[in-house]
Amino acid sequence: MKRRFLFPALLLVMALIVSACAAPPPPQAAPAEEAAPAEGGEITLGLALSTLNNPFFVDLRDGAQAAADAAGVKLVVVDAQDDPGKQASAIEDLIQSKVSALLINPTDADAIVPSIEAANEAGIPVFTVDRSAAGGEVVSHIASDNVAGGRMAAEFLCNALGGEGKVVELEGIPGTSAARDRGKGFNEYMSENCPGIEIVARQTANFNRAEGLTVFENILQAQPEIDGVFAHNDEMILGAIEAAEAAGRADEIVFVGFDAIDDAIQAIKEGKLAATVAQQPGEMGRLAVETAVKYLNGEDVPEYIPVDLALVTAETLK
Amino acid sequence: MTDTGTPILRMVGITKTFPGVRALDNVTLEVLPQEVHGLVGENGAGKTTLMKILTGVYQADAGHIEFKGRPVQIPNPRAAQLLGIAIIHQELAVLPEMSVAENIFLGREPAGPLGTVRWDELYRQTQALLDRLGIDLPPRTRVGNLTIAQQQMVEIAKALSLEADLLVMDEPTSALTERETEILFRLIETLKAHGVSIIYISHRLEEIFQICDRVTVMRDGQHIDTRPIDQLTPQEVVRLMVGRRIKDIYPPPGKGRGPLKLEVRGLHRPPRLRHVSLKLYSGEILGLAGLVGSGRTDLARAIFGVDPVEAGEIWIDGQLATIRSPDDAMAQGMGLVPEDRKGQGLFLQMTVRQNTVIARLKELSRWGFIDFRRAEAETRRFVEELDIRTPSLEQLVHNLSGGNQQKVVIARWLGRAPSILILDEPTRGIDVGAKAEIHTLMRQLADDGMAILMISSELPEVLGVSDRILVMREGRMVAEFSREEATQDRIMAYATGAAQPAQEELAP
Amino acid sequence: MNRYSLGSILQRFGIAISFVLLCVALSLLSDRFLTLPNIVNVLRQITINGIIAVGMTYVILIAEIDLSVGSVLALTSIVTADMLQKGLPIPLAILIGLALGALLGAVNGVITAKFRVPSFITTLGMLTSARGAALLYTEGRPITGLPDGFRALGRGEVAGIPAPVLIAGVVFVLGWLILKRTQAGEYIYAIGNNPTAARLVGISIDRYRTLVFLVAGLLAALAGMILTARLNSAQPTAGVAFELDAIAAVVLGGTSFSGGVGGLGGTLLGALIIGVLDNGLNLLNISSLYEQLVKGAVIALALLIHRK
Repeated sequence: MKRRFLFPALLLVMALIVSACAAPPPPQAAPAEEAAPAEGGEITLGLALSTLNNPFFVDLRDGAQAAADAAGVKLVVVDAQDDPGKQASAIEDLIQSKVSALLINPTDADAIVPSIEAANEAGIPVFTVDRSAAGGEVVSHIASDNVAGGRMAAEFLCNALGGEGKVVELEGIPGTSAARDRGKGFNEYMSENCPGIEIVARQTANFNRAEGLTVFENILQAQPEIDGVFAHNDEMILGAIEAAEAAGRADEIVFVGFDAIDDAIQAIKEGKLAATVAQQPGEMGRLAVETAVKYLNGEDVPEYIPVDLALVTAETLK
Repeated sequence: MTDTGTPILRMVGITKTFPGVRALDNVTLEVLPQEVHGLVGENGAGKTTLMKILTGVYQADAGHIEFKGRPVQIPNPRAAQLLGIAIIHQELAVLPEMSVAENIFLGREPAGPLGTVRWDELYRQTQALLDRLGIDLPPRTRVGNLTIAQQQMVEIAKALSLEADLLVMDEPTSALTERETEILFRLIETLKAHGVSIIYISHRLEEIFQICDRVTVMRDGQHIDTRPIDQLTPQEVVRLMVGRRIKDIYPPPGKGRGPLKLEVRGLHRPPRLRHVSLKLYSGEILGLAGLVGSGRTDLARAIFGVDPVEAGEIWIDGQLATIRSPDDAMAQGMGLVPEDRKGQGLFLQMTVRQNTVIARLKELSRWGFIDFRRAEAETRRFVEELDIRTPSLEQLVHNLSGGNQQKVVIARWLGRAPSILILDEPTRGIDVGAKAEIHTLMRQLADDGMAILMISSELPEVLGVSDRILVMREGRMVAEFSREEATQDRIMAYATGAAQPAQEELAP
Repeated sequence: MNRYSLGSILQRFGIAISFVLLCVALSLLSDRFLTLPNIVNVLRQITINGIIAVGMTYVILIAEIDLSVGSVLALTSIVTADMLQKGLPIPLAILIGLALGALLGAVNGVITAKFRVPSFITTLGMLTSARGAALLYTEGRPITGLPDGFRALGRGEVAGIPAPVLIAGVVFVLGWLILKRTQAGEYIYAIGNNPTAARLVGISIDRYRTLVFLVAGLLAALAGMILTARLNSAQPTAGVAFELDAIAAVVLGGTSFSGGVGGLGGTLLGALIIGVLDNGLNLLNISSLYEQLVKGAVIALALLIHRK
């Protein structure tokens, strides 16, 4: 009988070790009780992040912190380590400590709804950052303008190819908003402004580098001529570059990615990747804090606050 | 109990044939109202088949059934239940994770308007039922926490809640202590008082004499006799069970035994093995008799290192042997042909060749690669020697007849040329021809010096093949006979407990 | 053994028929399909799933399951890539990665065999733990930029045959030989068929169970090497859901979930069907919105044909 508990216990220990190592508490993540309640006009903002295990969100946090410092408000950051349950209890703590407003970057659009509703009941205004929520009352959603990003990529590719050529689009996971919006912006721009470009293949590689490799290998078999590729994220474009290099066709093709991850920046430096579209997480954090402060000071804020994207090329990296 | 009442149950002229076996031959069984009717016979006499026909598991080939004076058809167990016929199996069918009440009323729980269970009502009804039967159990207890005896009570209560008028109890006391048995008997009296008739199947004659009103004896699928219990003695019942039958043809006795090969001292693995000792000599066939559950198979498994023992030693050729696994036993020159051919012996989806050489691949392989030429030659040798009928060596064993399957299992061990071979029910369920071939083979092997331990539930086989016979009962070795002194009556008397181990019957 | 039973010959033919039908259909729909470069391309693509599926075949043959192969692949890739970047000689880094895969597999095996934990649970635990360890090791980042010598594992060719195809070919041939020609293979079938009987003929079931999981982990690590070399990058998120593709290949190939029946010939065909299907969907430029539906329908159809 004893041994039945041995393995679960082992797992538990492992889980504890892993989580303990994975989440060195960020300096800002003070226990919620210590976050002074918003009294005497002092503003305290709660920022609930899905994870700090990803540089994107670290930058977002840093941007938010800088903006909070500049505005003279207090910022309490909690990290959910991509666990919806953990996020829910962290937000509960923030509500209990009566923060002035909540900035939430949901781990999951549906799982976050009860937490937002709880904040609504407590009369705490909620702002969502980067990812939106499926329900509850949200004052404002602050996120990258993926449609504009898609247009940006299209414009670059159109110019790079001189307005003419055969282009492949590698799509993200079907049904995700990022895939939808990036594809929408890209295709709108192409059909409106760049009639000489033909999209010869449009296939999903699920935001995944290994699939970017194999899917593009297959497309290389199907298409004897390819002049440009746009992928909905950098992982897929990096896979595609490997495929093209192996097939000896990388030189004929202009590659454009999205997200500006480290590997992509490196690839631009090496001249393999022509461009990528960078989200600006620091900017996103800054806008989130500024919007919340504005709202708390009685100003009207729009429901959606687009965060600008930036094109990264060999030029801009110099 | 008077014999004047109309029988509640009449089974008349019941005949049932399975491929190659006539399991029941024109059997008649009558049970009177409010009677406890004992049903006795050796293993394989047909009791279980008869009860399976009564409860709708099997259909009779011929004969008819009357219940409460009306002819009835029992196409399936559900029909038997609706008629008011219930059976308490030897293996209990309770759901250990559910409560007493849920077990009793499973699928018939009192329901509220929305189909939800009305728990209060369920527990109330259960309590009422248990009170009526004088069973002292809390309805909310999880059945898995109860003793076997208590679980049996739950099954009985369940049968009664289905308004059963006839209750079949198959070996109900096999797992009970003496005190629990007494409680069960009191419950049986209560049931009788409530108008329930009971068919009581047991090997334990003292129980039959204690609880039954009348007894029906079966043998070889036939009805032998039905008599009121007070007109019988245990010795007579044993004689009726064993009978006199056409002498099967068995090989002549062997050349006589050689030196002591295997000695087992005090093997102990309760409850099925209690300090069992035996001696097995080269060149002899030692028969091990006893009822199912008496510990014979457990003894074989313990010797072969399948199950660990609490105490005891195994000596081979005068050396203390350490046997912790079948691998160890095999290294000591042992082989075991297990009782459940399909469940424990064969790899049904593998070929005759694979099944035959599986236990000697080490010897037939070089660098781990099997020498298929030798493997096939060895298989072919045994297929020919044992006359295994198979279209090819690559036939799946699954497709062979029972007798040929058994020969494959035996061939597997003969290939290893063991010095000790244990055969557990070597001829169960196989046809007469193959049976005789296996018996002859066993005798040849013994004559060539092999020490053979044969477990069998068929007394004629034990008597016909063995040089010496041991009898086990309830985990103990209770008697030993030489071939000459052994008779079916004597073996049966010890196996059932009608005779107790005493000095005068023990062989020197 | 399945080679000889009528039913399983039909099964084997059934899956082969499905494969041929699929190829005929695709070559009619796309003139690019039946070209030598594309055939080489497909073969190269199925190597990763194929190698994992060899291990999975062994596991399913003994009536167990290994859900952890994708995570083991990720963790071993990460460790190997890290060793390479730290300047370890290529063969040593590969050896370390493979040894780690074997070790993780052996852990699965020991927990399953000795502690009687169902392998579904054991390997589910490993799936989570190994993935967690991979993420922790790299803090979520990929390790990119590997020495050319290592990348030859993905890009190299010998006489026009891509290195991954050669490696997978060797794995299949060895795997087949072990299964059909050795004592160990015979024991694997025996354990899958009837573990009780296997024990009674002296087979050390625990040892073989552990060995089988070890092999599955080792092969997952090997597949990870090829993936890493092909991508020039090791990723902590690599191999998610790879176990499902491997299980699909094995089951399409006619190996029974209840163990003891089946083999690598079927698994190869199963992996080919999945690979050809992915390739065909890309060649035909099927919209991503339909892709999963089409894939599911074809797999269901193939299964139906070979159950006949």
